[in-house]
Amino acid sequence: MSDLFRDLFPLVWSGMITGCLYALGALGLVMIFKSSRVVNFSHGNVAGFAAFLIYGFSSGMLMELSWGAAVLLAVIAVIAIAFMTYALISPLVFESDLTATIATLGIGLIAQGATLLIFGADIVSLDLPIPRFGMSVLGLFVTGYDLTVLAVAIVTIAALFFVIDHTKLGVAFRAISENPFAAEVCGLNLRSVHLFSWMVAAVLGVVGALLIVPTTFLSVTTVAAFMLQAFAAAVIGGFASLPGALLGGILIGVLMNLFTFYVSPEFSSTFLLGVILLALNIFPNGILERVGGTRV
Amino acid sequence: MSDQSASLNGTAVGQGRLALRPEALTWAVLLLLLVLPFLLGGSWIFTLGVCFANAIGVLSVSVLVRYGGEVSIGHSFFAAVGAYSVAVLDTRYGLSLIASLPLALALGVVAGVAFAWPSRRLSGIYLAVSTMALALAVPEMINNMDGLTGGYEGLYVSQPVIPGVKMGLQRYYGALIVLALVVYGLSRLRRSRQGLVLLLAKAHPAAADAFGTRRVWARIAVMGISGGIAALCGAMLGFAGSTVSPSGFTLWSAIFLLVGSVVSFYGLTLPRALIGGAFLTLVPQMLSASGAWIPVLYGLALLGVILFGHYLPRLRALARRKGGA
Repeated sequence: MSDLFRDLFPLVWSGMITGCLYALGALGLVMIFKSSRVVNFSHGNVAGFAAFLIYGFSSGMLMELSWGAAVLLAVIAVIAIAFMTYALISPLVFESDLTATIATLGIGLIAQGATLLIFGADIVSLDLPIPRFGMSVLGLFVTGYDLTVLAVAIVTIAALFFVIDHTKLGVAFRAISENPFAAEVCGLNLRSVHLFSWMVAAVLGVVGALLIVPTTFLSVTTVAAFMLQAFAAAVIGGFASLPGALLGGILIGVLMNLFTFYVSPEFSSTFLLGVILLALNIFPNGILERVGGTRV
Repeated sequence: MSDQSASLNGTAVGQGRLALRPEALTWAVLLLLLVLPFLLGGSWIFTLGVCFANAIGVLSVSVLVRYGGEVSIGHSFFAAVGAYSVAVLDTRYGLSLIASLPLALALGVVAGVAFAWPSRRLSGIYLAVSTMALALAVPEMINNMDGLTGGYEGLYVSQPVIPGVKMGLQRYYGALIVLALVVYGLSRLRRSRQGLVLLLAKAHPAAADAFGTRRVWARIAVMGISGGIAALCGAMLGFAGSTVSPSGFTLWSAIFLLVGSVVSFYGLTLPRALIGGAFLTLVPQMLSASGAWIPVLYGLALLGVILFGHYLPRLRALARRKGGA
C-alpha cells in the first residue's frame, strides 16, 4: 500500500507538469475553434516546424544565434505562418467549417513536408537553457525543468485569461464565440478577431512544443504526436471552453502517466482513443458543463 | 459540403458538352482497363492494381462526405481491418480472397458502426477528431498483436483466387472487379430509397425526422457503409499489393485517402475514383527519390482543389456575366 503511494504522488505530479503543456496546446485549438469554428489540424505540425526552426537558428544549422533570439525569430515566423494560413482559408471559414478544417490538414501536410525538406528526418535534441537542479519536497523530487514549465504555463495562461476577460479584444473574442452574427451586426470585425486567435494559438503551440521537447527529443513526429494529447484535452473540455481545456490537459497528463506506468506504455494512443470516445459519451459538452453551467 | 451540389451539376454539364452520358464514359474506362494488361508490362499492371485498391479507399471517404457530411482521417483503421482479415486468413488458414473478402466487408461494416456509436449525436468536428485518435492507434494495435498480425514485418498474401492463372493478372483483375462492384453498388444506392433517405437526413434533418428517419440512424448507417468499403479497400490493397504491414495504415495514409477524395471532388463515379486512386498511387512513385516532397505536394493539391472548388462558382458567374454583356 505504501509502495503504491510512493509511486502515485510523483506520477501525479509529473503528469500535472506535462498536463500543463497539453493544456497550452489545447487552449490554442479551443481558441481557434471558439472564434472561427475550425479545428486546426495543422497545429501540431506547425508547432513542430517552429521547434525545428529554434533548433536551426540556435545550433548553427541555419544561423548561429543566442537561444532567446532564436525563439523570438521562430515566434515571428509562426505568427507569419498563422497569418498566411488564415488568409488562405478565411474565405472557406465563412462558407463551411468542415471544408476549412480539411484545408488545415493541407497546411499541416505542407508544414510536415517543409520540416522534412529543411531539417531531414533525423532526431535532434533541443534543451532549455535552465539551471539543472533538483530538490526533494515532501518526498517529491522537483527539478528545475518542472518549476520552469509550471511557471511558464501559469504566466502564459494567466496572461491569456486576463486578455480574454479584461481587454477590448477579449470581449470581442467572447462576443464572436457566443454569436458571430450579432457581433458582426454590432460592428465587430470577425476577421481581425479570428486572426488574433489564430496567432495567439500559434504562439501557445510554440511555447508548448518548446517545453515538451526536452523530455524526449525532437523529430518530425514528436510534436505532432504531442498534439494528440492536446486534442484529447480539448475534447474532454468540450472543445469550446478555455477552462475546460486547461482542466482537460491536466487530467490527460495525469491519466496518461498513470496508464503508462501501471498498465502499458505501448497502448498510449489506444488509451487516448478510449478516453476521447468515453468523454464524448459521458459529457459531450465538456467536463465543466454541469459544474459551471453555460455562460450566456 | 457546400461545393458538392455545384460539382454534381458540373459533371452533368461537362459530360453534356462532350455529348457523352456519364454511364458511357464509365463503360469506356472500364473496357479500356479490361484490355490494358495485354498492352502493358508487369510493373505497370501491379501499380494499376494498387491504384484500383486506393480508388476504393477514396470512394469510402467520399461516401462519408457525400452521404454523411462528415470528414474522417481515420479510414486507415477500417482499411487495416480489411487488409488483415485477408492476410490472416491467407497465411494462417490458407483461405483465398473468396472466403476472406466477405469477412473483410462484414468486419468493416461492424467496425464502422461500432465506431460511429459514441459520436452519434455530435457534430462532424468531433467525429474528425476521434478518427484522428483512431488512426494514430492503428499501428500500435497491429504491432502489439504480432502473434496474429506479424507485427512490424507484416504478412504476405499469396493464395490465388483461381489456381493456375498468373498471379499478377489475378491481382489486377481482382482489384478492378471489386472497384467496379463498389461503383455499381454506390450508383444503386444513389437511386435506392435508402440512399435518398440518407441524403435527406444530411441535407434536411428536420424533414427527415418528419418522415421518420432518425438522424442517429442515418449517421451510423453511413459510417457502416463507409467502413465496409474502406475494409474492401484494405483487402484489395493487401491482395493487389501482395504485402500487408503496419506502415501502410498510419495517420498519414488516412489523410492521404482524404486528399484523394478531395482531389476527385468527392466523386462517386468510376473515373473520379480512378483520379483519386491514381493521385495516391502515382505521385509517391514519381517522387520516390525525394520523399519529402510528397506531403508538400499533397498539401498543395488539397488546398488548391479546395480553393478551386470554392472560387469556381464565382468565376463561372463572372464569366457568364461577361459573356452575356
